[in-house]
Amino acid sequence: MNNNKGVATMTQLIEIRNLGIAYGGQTGWTDVVEGVCLEIAPGEAFGLVGESGCGKSTVAYRLLGYGAANSRVQTGQVLFEGTDLLQLDARSLADLRGNRIALVPQNPTTALSPGMRVGQQIREMILTHRALPAGVSMGQRITELFALVGLPDVSRRYPHELSGGQQQRVTIAMAVSCNPALLVLDEPTTGLDVTTQRQIIRLLSDLRSRIGMAMLYVTHDLALLAQIADRIGVMYAGQLVEVAPCAQLLAHPAHPYSRGLIASIPSVLQGHARGSGLRGMLRRDQMAEGCKFEPRCDFATATCRSTPQVLVPVADGQAVACMRWSELADTQHSTAAASTALRPERQSTPLLSVDNLSLSYAQSGWFTEWLGKRTVPIARDIDLELGAGEIVALVGESGSGKSTIARAISGRLAPMSGTISVDGHRLEPTLAGRSVQQLREIQYIFQNPDASLNPRRSVRAILERPLQHFAIESTPATLETALESVGLHAGYLNRFPEQLSGGERQRVAIARALLVNPKLLICDEILSALDVSVQTKIVELLLALKEQHAVAMLFISHDLAVVRQLADRVAVLYRGELMQMVDTDALFNSPLHPYTEMLLLAAPGLRKDDYVPKPPAMPDAPSVAGNGCPLAGRCPRQVGSLCAERRPAPQMTQSGFIRCHIPLAELAHHSDVAVSARHVQVSGPASPLLSYRSITP
Amino acid sequence: MSLTNVMSGWRTPALSSWPARWMAMPGSFKVGSIILAAHVLFALIGVFWTPYGFAQMGTGIPLSGMSWLHPMGVDQIGRDVLSRFMYGAHIVLLLALAGTTLGMVAGTVLGLVSGYLGGLFDEIVQRLVEAMISIPFLALALVTIIAAGPALAGEPALIVLVVGLVYTPRIARIARAAAMEIATREYVAVAELRGESTWSIVRREILPNTANVLLVEFSLRISYAPILIGALGFLGFGIRPPTPEWGLMISENRGLLIASPVTVFGPGLGFASLVVGLNLFTDGLSRMLGQRSVVGA
Repeated sequence: MNNNKGVATMTQLIEIRNLGIAYGGQTGWTDVVEGVCLEIAPGEAFGLVGESGCGKSTVAYRLLGYGAANSRVQTGQVLFEGTDLLQLDARSLADLRGNRIALVPQNPTTALSPGMRVGQQIREMILTHRALPAGVSMGQRITELFALVGLPDVSRRYPHELSGGQQQRVTIAMAVSCNPALLVLDEPTTGLDVTTQRQIIRLLSDLRSRIGMAMLYVTHDLALLAQIADRIGVMYAGQLVEVAPCAQLLAHPAHPYSRGLIASIPSVLQGHARGSGLRGMLRRDQMAEGCKFEPRCDFATATCRSTPQVLVPVADGQAVACMRWSELADTQHSTAAASTALRPERQSTPLLSVDNLSLSYAQSGWFTEWLGKRTVPIARDIDLELGAGEIVALVGESGSGKSTIARAISGRLAPMSGTISVDGHRLEPTLAGRSVQQLREIQYIFQNPDASLNPRRSVRAILERPLQHFAIESTPATLETALESVGLHAGYLNRFPEQLSGGERQRVAIARALLVNPKLLICDEILSALDVSVQTKIVELLLALKEQHAVAMLFISHDLAVVRQLADRVAVLYRGELMQMVDTDALFNSPLHPYTEMLLLAAPGLRKDDYVPKPPAMPDAPSVAGNGCPLAGRCPRQVGSLCAERRPAPQMTQSGFIRCHIPLAELAHHSDVAVSARHVQVSGPASPLLSYRSITP
Repeated sequence: MSLTNVMSGWRTPALSSWPARWMAMPGSFKVGSIILAAHVLFALIGVFWTPYGFAQMGTGIPLSGMSWLHPMGVDQIGRDVLSRFMYGAHIVLLLALAGTTLGMVAGTVLGLVSGYLGGLFDEIVQRLVEAMISIPFLALALVTIIAAGPALAGEPALIVLVVGLVYTPRIARIARAAAMEIATREYVAVAELRGESTWSIVRREILPNTANVLLVEFSLRISYAPILIGALGFLGFGIRPPTPEWGLMISENRGLLIASPVTVFGPGLGFASLVVGLNLFTDGLSRMLGQRSVVGA
């Protein structure tokens, strides 16, 4: 490394030159990554973003010298501190991995060995690379690492004894245990709750400033990248289409794809303005020989189709692979008309009413009673009303009992107590007791479209079966119109689920539910398995369907931003209790429950906001099980022992209720301050989209 | 039904691509299917043409050994062994197929319903199944035949029933395990929410998705069936003489093992090659369907 060239490369920690990777399949080799060039300086955080299937993880894993068994590097070099990782043998790679380049995996539950204490797993890592600093004992070092990621000494625990967020902290501790120069993060927060997500993001930026390592952060979530990345690379169909500093990209995206991606992100502040997303989907079989994005691009011309695009520098540190970028910069992005959703007049008789519902999975029988055990309810005293044609969102962190309530309403779980009525008629607790008509009226759409469609049946058979079962008359055109109403066409009838993409499968599932003219649609996290751009499409579809079919929806989600676009009213759930019921429009100007506020503030916007969660007011006064407010001990505004011991009575507000001990007036004042502070951060206009438009020359 | 879709690997078969597809199949599958095809062909010929009648006595001198007229020798009462061997081929094949099919249908229905429903029904069925599996299969078969009485003894239907009875609990266990996995899938929940009947869910949602496992199980069981049928014949509990069932032929001629060994070779080799062929076929099939073949009783 003495010559000049060596010094030049050393300014970059890692440099990828013209990387091309292909996957082998039955039809031969398919290029999944083509001509990717990027470099990361020491201490820099580089974000790689794109839709699923764009090749971002393939690139990231190559940095660890790892590729799937059927993959092959076609061209290029991956230079790490001047050495080409692709030329190294297994042993030298093993010396680098974990030691100099470390990985934080997507799913900590499967990444940690379940039969080994977590301390032992970190110890293993340090021993392998002999990375124990001089003068420190192993025990001290491990405790130090846990402290670094904000955990108490949990080295004696097994992975299943930790929560998802804690597990991810352990994998991060493991990754930084050898002081790596580069940390590769593969969607490290995708499976986590919003609040936990923010804690991890904060931890990572904190670690970066303390240890000074570089990061490659792979994700599909641009809003999250905005919080942490210095520079962002946007990938599409295996190619980098734009590389730019974070703020530059978010404010002036040059490539049409980056624009679409940013526009399709819903924001908690955006209100009912629909995200103007990308049309179509990434299809590798429809690639033009020129620009890969051409089939989906609004600005494409005939020359785009035939001319391959290469990254050209356009501004300071910004490079874009689009030959028409300068023309695009002048055109305003077609503004999505802020459609005010139709609010049905609240009817006197609600469609669905849930009264005093308590749920538990444990069977309470004479045996458990004899043992003196009281069954702990998963949800208690749930009161919920849904008008015809209304969308009510049920929001909460994982484990808050959202899906359990949906199960009870649909009849798959008999409640401990309480009643469920539709149209004033009380429903039997179990499926067997309900009439065919009642079953038809409530339709359920599941989270994972891969599992909710029978893989051995064609789309036609899947759609026909409910019609036969409910003896609904149908003509051959019925199925076609149903498919068309969800944005598919008759050509899909003879396909099998495995031949469809995730978004298409979810559309089929929606079509199946709508075919039988239900009155109530229960949507159980139906967007969380889908890409952002696909999510936007489905949200649009649901809004359109609501207007056409006047169907009511119970929309279960953990994502407040999506809920804000879609729902009329929001019910916030925490540990099985309704904390607040509020009109969506009123989320920003009515009093907020402390928990709702926590959720709102934690949702990342498209700006770096340096969000720091407020510490709990009384962390040592947790709720007395079954008696107190469930938020006690975590609440930033806990007022005293009252919170932990007594259950707050609901306080009526204009559009719902709040269950809190703090009086309404005080809550209202506080949330005004909190939310307006947030408005200031996004500089005036309520929408970050609007603000970027106003900056665009 | 949807079993056509089981072979999802090779949907839309084009005639031109058959040779290429054949070459890509596992070797054991190719060898196995060639052996099986030979057996079927041999059995077909045996039904329509044999050198002598299978029960015709005095076709040659007993214990005369191999000759051009009697390539497999002549048995004690002068019947041509080759003719009997040829005629007997289709009996083993048919009995194995019918018996396994019976066990398959009964075991699948019992196992799928029990695995899907769970609860008390599952408990009862599983205890019965365990009780039946704990009895050695030959003992169970013999007891059943004796219990059926002399009027039915020797009837092909009884052999089919016995094979079915032996196989039902074993297949039910496999089907139950497969059904339990599928029963947790959300498309089953969707069907439940529609209020479909148990039978309809088992038939439409669960059966097609367990077809892979069941197909492999079927071919595995059918490869053991000739051994069971042969053993029954050998012990004298099989098909009523003079119908030349191979196990019975080995039993009849075992006294000649030293004097004229060639009379026993035929049926012995027939059994061996049939079982080996079926096993290779099963092995290849399970590999193609991505299932591990389960070896066991």
